[in-house]
Amino acid sequence: MRSLRRVLTMGEMHGRDLLRHHAAIGLLIVLPLSFYLSAANSNSENAFVAGGVGMAFSISGATLFSILSSREVDQRLVLSGYRPIELLLGRLLFLAPFGLVIAAGFASLMSAVSHPARPFLLGFAVAMVAVQAVPFGLAVGAAVPRELEGTLVLIGVVGTQLATKPDAVVSKVLPFYGPRQLIVAGAHDHGAIAWPFALTVAYALVLLVVARVFVARRVRIERHTELRPS
Amino acid sequence: MPGGRSAPPVRSIDPVAVVQLVARGVTKRFRRTVVLEDVDLAVHAGEVVALTGENGAGKTTMLRICAGLLRADAGTIAVGGGIGYCPQATGLFELLTAEDHLVMFGRGVGMSRDEGLRRGRAILAEFGFPLREKLLIRELSGGTRQKLNLALALLADPSVLLLDEPYQGFDHGTYVNFWDHCETWRGQGKAVVVVTHMLAELDRVDRVVELPAHPSRRAAA
Repeated sequence: MRSLRRVLTMGEMHGRDLLRHHAAIGLLIVLPLSFYLSAANSNSENAFVAGGVGMAFSISGATLFSILSSREVDQRLVLSGYRPIELLLGRLLFLAPFGLVIAAGFASLMSAVSHPARPFLLGFAVAMVAVQAVPFGLAVGAAVPRELEGTLVLIGVVGTQLATKPDAVVSKVLPFYGPRQLIVAGAHDHGAIAWPFALTVAYALVLLVVARVFVARRVRIERHTELRPS
Repeated sequence: MPGGRSAPPVRSIDPVAVVQLVARGVTKRFRRTVVLEDVDLAVHAGEVVALTGENGAGKTTMLRICAGLLRADAGTIAVGGGIGYCPQATGLFELLTAEDHLVMFGRGVGMSRDEGLRRGRAILAEFGFPLREKLLIRELSGGTRQKLNLALALLADPSVLLLDEPYQGFDHGTYVNFWDHCETWRGQGKAVVVVTHMLAELDRVDRVVELPAHPSRRAAA
Protein backbone atom coordinates (compact mmCIF):
# COMPACT_ATOMS: atom_id res chain seq x y z
CA MET A 1 0.00 0.00 0.00
CA ARG A 2 2.81 2.37 0.90
CA SER A 3 4.54 1.52 -2.38
CA LEU A 4 1.35 2.21 -4.34
CA ARG A 5 1.00 5.60 -2.65
CA ARG A 6 4.56 6.46 -3.60
CA VAL A 7 3.92 5.47 -7.23
CA LEU A 8 0.72 7.54 -7.29
CA THR A 9 2.54 10.53 -5.78
CA MET A 10 5.31 10.27 -8.36
CA GLY A 11 2.72 10.04 -11.16
CA GLU A 12 0.92 13.11 -9.81
CA MET A 13 4.10 15.15 -9.49
CA HIS A 14 5.40 14.23 -12.93
CA GLY A 15 2.00 15.11 -14.34
CA ARG A 16 2.08 18.52 -12.68
CA ASP A 17 5.62 19.10 -13.86
CA LEU A 18 4.92 18.16 -17.49
CA LEU A 19 1.61 19.99 -17.74
CA ARG A 20 3.32 23.20 -16.64
CA HIS A 21 5.68 22.95 -19.64
CA HIS A 22 3.13 24.72 -21.82
CA ALA A 23 5.40 25.31 -24.81
CA ALA A 24 6.57 21.68 -24.75
CA ILE A 25 2.97 20.44 -24.70
CA GLY A 26 2.22 22.61 -27.72
CA LEU A 27 5.21 21.18 -29.57
CA LEU A 28 4.17 17.70 -28.53
CA ILE A 29 1.05 18.15 -30.61
CA VAL A 30 2.42 20.33 -33.40
CA LEU A 31 5.36 18.06 -34.24
CA PRO A 32 3.46 14.93 -35.34
CA LEU A 33 0.80 17.14 -36.86
CA SER A 34 3.40 18.77 -39.09
CA PHE A 35 4.74 15.32 -40.05
CA TYR A 36 1.22 14.23 -40.97
CA LEU A 37 0.27 17.39 -42.85
CA SER A 38 3.49 17.40 -44.85
CA ALA A 39 2.58 13.97 -46.21
CA ALA A 40 -1.22 14.31 -46.22
CA ASN A 41 -1.47 15.33 -49.88
CA SER A 42 0.47 12.32 -51.08
CA ASN A 43 -0.23 8.67 -50.49
CA SER A 44 -2.48 8.40 -47.41
CA GLU A 45 -0.55 5.39 -46.06
CA ASN A 46 2.62 7.49 -45.93
CA ALA A 47 0.71 10.27 -44.18
CA PHE A 48 -0.60 7.89 -41.51
CA VAL A 49 2.85 6.40 -40.97
CA ALA A 50 4.52 9.83 -40.86
CA GLY A 51 1.95 11.20 -38.41
CA GLY A 52 1.67 8.06 -36.30
CA VAL A 53 5.34 7.27 -36.02
CA GLY A 54 6.11 11.00 -35.81
CA MET A 55 4.09 10.99 -32.61
CA ALA A 56 6.78 8.68 -31.22
CA PHE A 57 9.18 11.65 -31.43
CA SER A 58 6.91 13.75 -29.24
CA ILE A 59 6.01 11.23 -26.57
CA SER A 60 9.47 9.64 -26.37
CA GLY A 61 10.97 13.13 -26.20
CA ALA A 62 8.69 14.18 -23.34
CA THR A 63 9.52 10.96 -21.48
CA LEU A 64 13.23 11.34 -22.15
CA PHE A 65 13.34 14.86 -20.72
CA SER A 66 11.20 13.84 -17.77
CA ILE A 67 13.76 11.25 -16.75
CA LEU A 68 16.93 13.19 -17.60
CA SER A 69 15.90 16.49 -16.02
CA SER A 70 15.20 14.91 -12.65
CA ARG A 71 18.29 12.78 -12.32
CA GLU A 72 19.67 14.56 -9.24
CA VAL A 73 16.31 14.68 -7.50
CA ASP A 74 15.68 11.02 -8.27
CA GLN A 75 18.72 9.90 -6.30
CA ARG A 76 17.65 12.00 -3.33
CA LEU A 77 14.16 10.53 -3.58
CA VAL A 78 15.70 7.07 -3.36
CA LEU A 79 17.70 8.25 -0.35
CA SER A 80 14.43 9.38 1.20
CA GLY A 81 12.88 5.95 0.76
CA TYR A 82 11.61 5.53 -2.80
CA ARG A 83 12.56 2.43 -4.75
CA PRO A 84 13.86 2.94 -8.31
CA ILE A 85 10.96 0.93 -9.74
CA GLU A 86 8.51 3.30 -8.02
CA LEU A 87 10.11 6.28 -9.75
CA LEU A 88 9.77 4.48 -13.07
CA LEU A 89 6.20 3.33 -12.54
CA GLY A 90 5.18 6.79 -11.36
CA ARG A 91 6.33 8.28 -14.67
CA LEU A 92 4.68 5.48 -16.62
CA LEU A 93 1.44 6.03 -14.70
CA PHE A 94 1.16 9.59 -15.95
CA LEU A 95 2.88 9.46 -19.33
CA ALA A 96 1.10 6.39 -20.74
CA PRO A 97 -2.46 7.77 -20.29
CA PHE A 98 -1.22 11.20 -21.37
CA GLY A 99 0.18 9.67 -24.57
CA LEU A 100 -3.07 7.79 -25.15
CA VAL A 101 -5.09 11.00 -24.90
CA ILE A 102 -2.89 12.66 -27.53
CA ALA A 103 -3.08 9.52 -29.65
CA ALA A 104 -6.89 9.51 -29.48
CA GLY A 105 -7.11 13.12 -30.64
CA PHE A 106 -4.55 12.63 -33.33
CA ALA A 107 -6.12 9.41 -34.66
CA SER A 108 -9.53 11.13 -34.78
CA LEU A 109 -8.07 13.97 -36.82
CA MET A 110 -6.32 11.64 -39.27
CA SER A 111 -9.48 9.55 -39.65
CA ALA A 112 -11.60 12.62 -40.34
CA VAL A 113 -9.18 14.07 -42.89
CA SER A 114 -7.71 11.02 -44.65
CA HIS A 115 -10.46 8.40 -44.26
CA PRO A 116 -8.55 5.20 -43.48
CA ALA A 117 -10.16 1.88 -44.43
CA ARG A 118 -10.30 0.77 -40.78
CA PRO A 119 -10.44 3.91 -38.59
CA PHE A 120 -10.74 2.04 -35.30
CA LEU A 121 -7.71 -0.06 -36.13
CA LEU A 122 -5.82 3.10 -37.07
CA GLY A 123 -6.78 4.58 -33.69
CA PHE A 124 -5.56 1.42 -31.98
CA ALA A 125 -2.31 1.53 -33.98
CA VAL A 126 -1.62 5.14 -33.03
CA ALA A 127 -2.36 4.23 -29.41
CA MET A 128 0.27 1.47 -29.74
CA VAL A 129 2.78 4.12 -30.85
CA ALA A 130 2.05 5.98 -27.63
CA VAL A 131 2.29 2.79 -25.58
CA GLN A 132 5.65 1.98 -27.17
CA ALA A 133 7.02 5.53 -27.01
CA VAL A 134 6.90 5.81 -23.22
CA PRO A 135 9.03 2.72 -22.42
CA PHE A 136 11.34 3.70 -25.29
CA GLY A 137 11.82 7.20 -23.85
CA LEU A 138 12.33 5.75 -20.38
CA ALA A 139 14.93 3.26 -21.61
CA VAL A 140 16.88 5.85 -23.62
CA GLY A 141 16.65 8.43 -20.82
CA ALA A 142 17.91 5.93 -18.28
CA ALA A 143 20.74 4.68 -20.49
CA VAL A 144 22.28 7.89 -21.85
CA PRO A 145 24.23 10.42 -19.79
CA ARG A 146 22.71 13.68 -21.04
CA GLU A 147 19.88 15.26 -23.06
CA LEU A 148 22.01 15.72 -26.17
CA GLU A 149 22.90 12.05 -26.47
CA GLY A 150 19.31 11.06 -25.70
CA THR A 151 17.90 13.37 -28.34
CA LEU A 152 20.34 12.05 -30.95
CA VAL A 153 19.43 8.44 -30.16
CA LEU A 154 15.77 9.34 -30.42
CA ILE A 155 16.18 11.11 -33.75
CA GLY A 156 18.31 8.23 -35.03
CA VAL A 157 15.90 5.46 -34.08
CA VAL A 158 12.59 7.12 -34.98
CA GLY A 159 14.09 8.77 -38.06
CA THR A 160 15.44 5.44 -39.30
CA GLN A 161 12.08 3.81 -38.62
CA LEU A 162 10.41 6.44 -40.79
CA ALA A 163 13.03 6.48 -43.52
CA THR A 164 13.50 2.76 -44.12
CA LYS A 165 11.15 0.55 -46.05
CA PRO A 166 9.15 -1.83 -43.85
CA ASP A 167 10.68 -4.92 -45.44
CA ALA A 168 14.24 -3.81 -44.60
CA VAL A 169 15.92 -5.79 -41.84
CA VAL A 170 16.86 -2.66 -39.92
CA SER A 171 13.23 -1.52 -39.89
CA LYS A 172 12.12 -4.83 -38.40
CA VAL A 173 14.45 -4.61 -35.41
CA LEU A 174 13.48 -1.06 -34.43
CA PRO A 175 10.88 -0.48 -31.69
CA PHE A 176 8.16 1.11 -33.81
CA TYR A 177 8.00 -1.61 -36.44
CA GLY A 178 4.99 -3.30 -34.80
CA PRO A 179 2.97 -0.07 -34.46
CA ARG A 180 3.93 0.90 -38.02
CA GLN A 181 2.57 -2.38 -39.38
CA LEU A 182 -0.64 -1.80 -37.43
CA ILE A 183 -0.94 1.69 -38.93
CA VAL A 184 -0.55 0.23 -42.43
CA ALA A 185 -3.20 -2.40 -41.61
CA GLY A 186 -5.52 0.37 -40.42
CA ALA A 187 -4.96 2.42 -43.57
CA HIS A 188 -6.10 -0.47 -45.81
CA ASP A 189 -8.64 -3.20 -45.40
CA HIS A 190 -5.99 -5.90 -45.09
CA GLY A 191 -2.85 -6.57 -43.10
CA ALA A 192 -1.84 -8.48 -40.00
CA ILE A 193 -2.96 -7.32 -36.58
CA ALA A 194 -2.10 -10.03 -34.06
CA TRP A 195 1.65 -10.37 -34.53
CA PRO A 196 2.41 -6.64 -34.81
CA PHE A 197 0.40 -6.14 -31.61
CA ALA A 198 2.25 -8.99 -29.85
CA LEU A 199 5.58 -7.60 -31.10
CA THR A 200 4.72 -4.13 -29.77
CA VAL A 201 3.79 -5.45 -26.33
CA ALA A 202 6.89 -7.68 -26.16
CA TYR A 203 9.16 -4.83 -27.25
CA ALA A 204 7.57 -2.49 -24.69
CA LEU A 205 8.17 -5.01 -21.91
CA VAL A 206 11.81 -5.45 -22.93
CA LEU A 207 12.28 -1.66 -23.00
CA LEU A 208 10.77 -1.42 -19.52
CA VAL A 209 13.21 -4.01 -18.23
CA VAL A 210 16.10 -2.08 -19.83
CA ALA A 211 14.83 1.13 -18.23
CA ARG A 212 14.50 -0.60 -14.86
CA VAL A 213 18.09 -1.89 -15.00
CA PHE A 214 19.60 1.47 -15.98
CA VAL A 215 17.50 3.53 -13.58
CA ALA A 216 18.47 1.23 -10.72
CA ARG A 217 22.14 1.73 -11.59
CA ARG A 218 21.79 5.47 -11.99
CA VAL A 219 20.00 6.23 -8.73
CA ARG A 220 21.73 3.55 -6.70
CA ILE A 221 22.24 4.34 -3.04
CA GLU A 222 25.01 2.62 -1.13
CA ARG A 223 23.43 1.05 1.92
CA HIS A 224 25.81 1.51 4.84
CA THR A 225 26.46 -0.83 7.70
CA GLU A 226 24.23 -0.07 10.64
CA LEU A 227 25.93 0.96 13.86
CA ARG A 228 24.45 -0.80 16.86
CA PRO A 229 24.81 0.56 20.40
CA SER A 230 27.29 -1.64 22.26
CA MET B 1 43.94 9.78 10.21
CA PRO B 2 46.05 9.95 7.09
CA GLY B 3 43.58 11.76 4.82
CA GLY B 4 41.68 14.02 7.19
CA ARG B 5 43.21 16.18 9.91
CA SER B 6 41.20 16.97 13.02
CA ALA B 7 41.82 20.30 14.69
CA PRO B 8 41.65 20.31 18.48
CA PRO B 9 38.06 20.20 19.71
CA VAL B 10 36.51 23.61 20.18
CA ARG B 11 33.92 22.26 22.60
CA SER B 12 34.03 19.30 24.89
CA ILE B 13 32.02 16.32 23.66
CA ASP B 14 30.16 13.99 25.92
CA PRO B 15 32.68 11.12 26.11
CA VAL B 16 29.93 8.50 26.24
CA ALA B 17 27.94 9.93 23.33
CA VAL B 18 26.98 7.31 20.78
CA VAL B 19 28.87 7.38 17.50
CA GLN B 20 26.37 7.98 14.69
CA LEU B 21 28.65 8.11 11.66
CA VAL B 22 31.92 6.27 11.14
CA ALA B 23 33.94 6.45 7.92
CA ARG B 24 37.11 4.36 7.73
CA GLY B 25 39.78 4.42 5.07
CA VAL B 26 37.61 6.14 2.49
CA THR B 27 39.36 6.45 -0.86
CA LYS B 28 37.89 7.88 -4.03
CA ARG B 29 39.42 8.46 -7.44
CA PHE B 30 37.91 10.09 -10.48
CA ARG B 31 39.88 8.48 -13.30
CA ARG B 32 43.51 9.20 -12.41
CA THR B 33 42.78 11.95 -9.91
CA VAL B 34 42.82 10.85 -6.30
CA VAL B 35 40.21 12.95 -4.51
CA LEU B 36 40.16 11.20 -1.17
CA GLU B 37 42.77 8.84 0.19
CA ASP B 38 42.30 6.79 3.31
CA VAL B 39 40.08 9.33 5.07
CA ASP B 40 38.61 8.55 8.48
CA LEU B 41 35.77 10.43 10.12
CA ALA B 42 33.67 9.73 13.20
CA VAL B 43 30.79 11.90 14.35
CA HIS B 44 28.94 11.42 17.62
CA ALA B 45 25.33 12.08 18.53
CA GLY B 46 25.04 15.70 19.67
CA GLU B 47 28.14 16.78 17.79
CA VAL B 48 28.52 19.35 15.02
CA VAL B 49 31.55 18.79 12.81
CA ALA B 50 32.75 21.29 10.21
CA LEU B 51 34.34 19.71 7.15
CA THR B 52 36.74 22.19 5.60
CA GLY B 53 39.47 22.20 3.00
CA GLU B 54 40.52 24.04 -0.10
CA ASN B 55 38.63 23.76 -3.37
CA GLY B 56 38.94 20.25 -4.76
CA ALA B 57 39.90 18.74 -1.42
CA GLY B 58 36.97 16.32 -1.72
CA LYS B 59 34.54 17.75 0.86
CA THR B 60 31.43 17.30 -1.29
CA THR B 61 32.67 13.90 -2.47
CA MET B 62 33.17 12.80 1.13
CA LEU B 63 29.70 13.99 2.09
CA ARG B 64 28.10 12.26 -0.89
CA ILE B 65 29.91 9.04 0.00
CA CYS B 66 28.69 9.33 3.59
CA ALA B 67 25.14 9.89 2.31
CA GLY B 68 25.40 6.82 0.05
CA LEU B 69 25.00 8.84 -3.14
CA LEU B 70 28.48 7.92 -4.32
CA ARG B 71 30.41 4.70 -3.97
CA ALA B 72 33.87 4.82 -2.42
CA ASP B 73 36.64 2.90 -4.18
CA ALA B 74 37.81 1.68 -0.79
CA GLY B 75 36.79 2.06 2.82
CA THR B 76 33.63 1.57 4.84
CA ILE B 77 30.84 3.75 6.17
CA ALA B 78 28.59 2.87 9.08
CA VAL B 79 25.68 4.94 10.35
CA GLY B 80 23.53 4.81 13.44
CA GLY B 81 20.24 5.99 11.95
CA GLY B 82 18.50 7.84 9.16
CA ILE B 83 20.47 10.26 7.00
CA GLY B 84 19.34 13.74 5.95
CA TYR B 85 21.35 15.19 3.08
CA CYS B 86 21.27 18.78 1.87
CA PRO B 87 23.19 19.31 -1.38
CA GLN B 88 25.12 22.39 -2.39
CA ALA B 89 23.25 22.69 -5.68
CA THR B 90 19.51 23.02 -5.42
CA GLY B 91 18.55 19.92 -7.45
CA LEU B 92 14.78 20.46 -7.35
CA PHE B 93 11.95 20.23 -9.87
CA GLU B 94 11.77 23.72 -11.41
CA LEU B 95 8.07 23.55 -12.23
CA LEU B 96 6.82 22.14 -8.95
CA THR B 97 6.06 24.13 -5.82
CA ALA B 98 7.71 23.81 -2.43
CA GLU B 99 4.54 22.07 -1.19
CA ASP B 100 4.78 19.52 -4.00
CA HIS B 101 8.33 18.72 -2.90
CA LEU B 102 7.31 18.33 0.73
CA VAL B 103 4.53 15.93 -0.25
CA MET B 104 6.84 13.97 -2.56
CA PHE B 105 9.75 13.63 -0.13
CA GLY B 106 7.36 13.03 2.77
CA ARG B 107 5.84 10.09 0.90
CA GLY B 108 9.31 8.58 0.59
CA VAL B 109 9.54 8.23 4.36
CA GLY B 110 5.96 7.04 4.68
CA MET B 111 4.30 10.32 5.66
CA SER B 112 0.79 11.19 4.56
CA ARG B 113 0.30 14.28 2.42
CA ASP B 114 -0.93 16.31 5.42
CA GLU B 115 1.84 15.11 7.69
CA GLY B 116 4.55 15.97 5.14
CA LEU B 117 3.07 19.42 4.61
CA ARG B 118 2.59 20.11 8.31
CA ARG B 119 6.10 19.09 9.24
CA GLY B 120 7.66 20.78 6.21
CA ARG B 121 5.80 24.02 6.84
CA ALA B 122 6.97 24.05 10.45
CA ILE B 123 10.61 23.59 9.42
CA LEU B 124 10.38 26.23 6.69
CA ALA B 125 8.74 28.70 9.06
CA GLU B 126 11.74 28.32 11.38
CA PHE B 127 13.96 29.44 8.50
CA GLY B 128 11.76 32.40 7.59
CA PHE B 129 9.99 30.80 4.60
CA PRO B 130 6.35 30.70 5.70
CA LEU B 131 5.10 28.93 2.54
CA ARG B 132 2.08 31.12 2.05
CA GLU B 133 2.43 31.57 -1.69
CA LYS B 134 2.26 28.72 -4.16
CA LEU B 135 5.27 29.78 -6.17
CA LEU B 136 7.09 27.44 -8.51
CA ILE B 137 10.67 26.58 -7.61
CA ARG B 138 11.98 28.53 -10.63
CA GLU B 139 10.35 31.65 -9.19
CA LEU B 140 12.16 31.32 -5.85
CA SER B 141 15.49 32.93 -5.00
CA GLY B 142 18.57 30.74 -4.54
CA GLY B 143 18.46 31.22 -0.77
CA THR B 144 14.79 30.24 -0.55
CA ARG B 145 15.42 27.13 -2.64
CA GLN B 146 18.21 26.22 -0.26
CA LYS B 147 15.83 26.62 2.70
CA LEU B 148 13.56 24.11 1.01
CA ASN B 149 16.50 21.75 0.50
CA LEU B 150 17.28 22.03 4.18
CA ALA B 151 13.64 21.33 5.07
CA LEU B 152 13.66 18.24 2.82
CA ALA B 153 16.80 16.99 4.57
CA LEU B 154 15.14 17.48 7.97
CA LEU B 155 11.70 16.17 7.02
CA ALA B 156 12.19 12.65 8.36
CA ASP B 157 13.92 13.84 11.53
CA PRO B 158 17.21 12.04 10.70
CA SER B 159 19.87 11.18 13.27
CA VAL B 160 22.68 12.12 10.88
CA LEU B 161 22.59 15.44 9.04
CA LEU B 162 24.98 15.94 6.12
CA LEU B 163 24.90 19.56 4.96
CA ASP B 164 26.94 20.73 1.99
CA GLU B 165 27.29 24.51 2.35
CA PRO B 166 23.56 24.68 3.02
CA TYR B 167 23.50 28.43 3.61
CA GLN B 168 24.27 29.37 -0.03
CA GLY B 169 22.20 32.44 -0.87
CA PHE B 170 20.90 32.93 2.68
CA ASP B 171 20.49 36.51 3.85
CA HIS B 172 22.45 37.50 6.95
CA GLY B 173 19.58 36.85 9.37
CA THR B 174 18.89 33.36 8.02
CA TYR B 175 22.61 32.62 7.95
CA VAL B 176 22.92 33.41 11.67
CA ASN B 177 19.70 31.50 12.24
CA PHE B 178 21.24 28.47 10.51
CA TRP B 179 24.13 28.32 12.95
CA ASP B 180 21.68 28.74 15.84
CA HIS B 181 19.84 25.73 14.45
CA CYS B 182 23.07 23.74 14.46
CA GLU B 183 23.09 24.21 18.21
CA THR B 184 19.47 23.10 18.41
CA TRP B 185 20.26 19.97 16.40
CA ARG B 186 23.21 19.32 18.66
CA GLY B 187 20.81 19.55 21.62
CA GLN B 188 18.47 17.09 19.91
CA GLY B 189 21.31 14.58 19.72
CA LYS B 190 21.82 14.70 15.97
CA ALA B 191 25.22 14.07 14.41
CA VAL B 192 25.77 17.02 12.09
CA VAL B 193 28.45 17.44 9.41
CA VAL B 194 28.59 20.84 7.71
CA VAL B 195 30.81 21.47 4.73
CA THR B 196 31.85 25.08 5.12
CA HIS B 197 34.31 27.73 4.07
CA MET B 198 33.05 30.14 6.71
CA LEU B 199 36.02 30.12 9.02
CA ALA B 200 34.46 32.86 11.18
CA GLU B 201 31.79 30.42 12.32
CA LEU B 202 34.09 27.59 13.28
CA ASP B 203 33.79 28.53 16.93
CA ARG B 204 30.15 27.41 16.68
CA VAL B 205 31.05 23.81 15.88
CA ASP B 206 32.45 21.10 18.10
CA ARG B 207 35.20 19.96 15.83
CA VAL B 208 36.84 20.96 12.60
CA VAL B 209 38.04 18.30 10.17
CA GLU B 210 40.19 19.63 7.37
CA LEU B 211 40.57 17.58 4.23
CA PRO B 212 43.94 18.30 2.64
CA ALA B 213 44.36 18.35 -1.11
CA HIS B 214 45.95 15.08 -2.16
CA PRO B 215 49.76 15.33 -2.69
CA SER B 216 49.41 14.35 -6.36
CA ARG B 217 47.22 17.38 -7.01
CA ARG B 218 49.35 19.68 -4.90
CA ALA B 219 52.38 18.65 -6.95
CA ALA B 220 50.46 19.24 -10.19
CA ALA B 221 49.44 22.69 -8.99
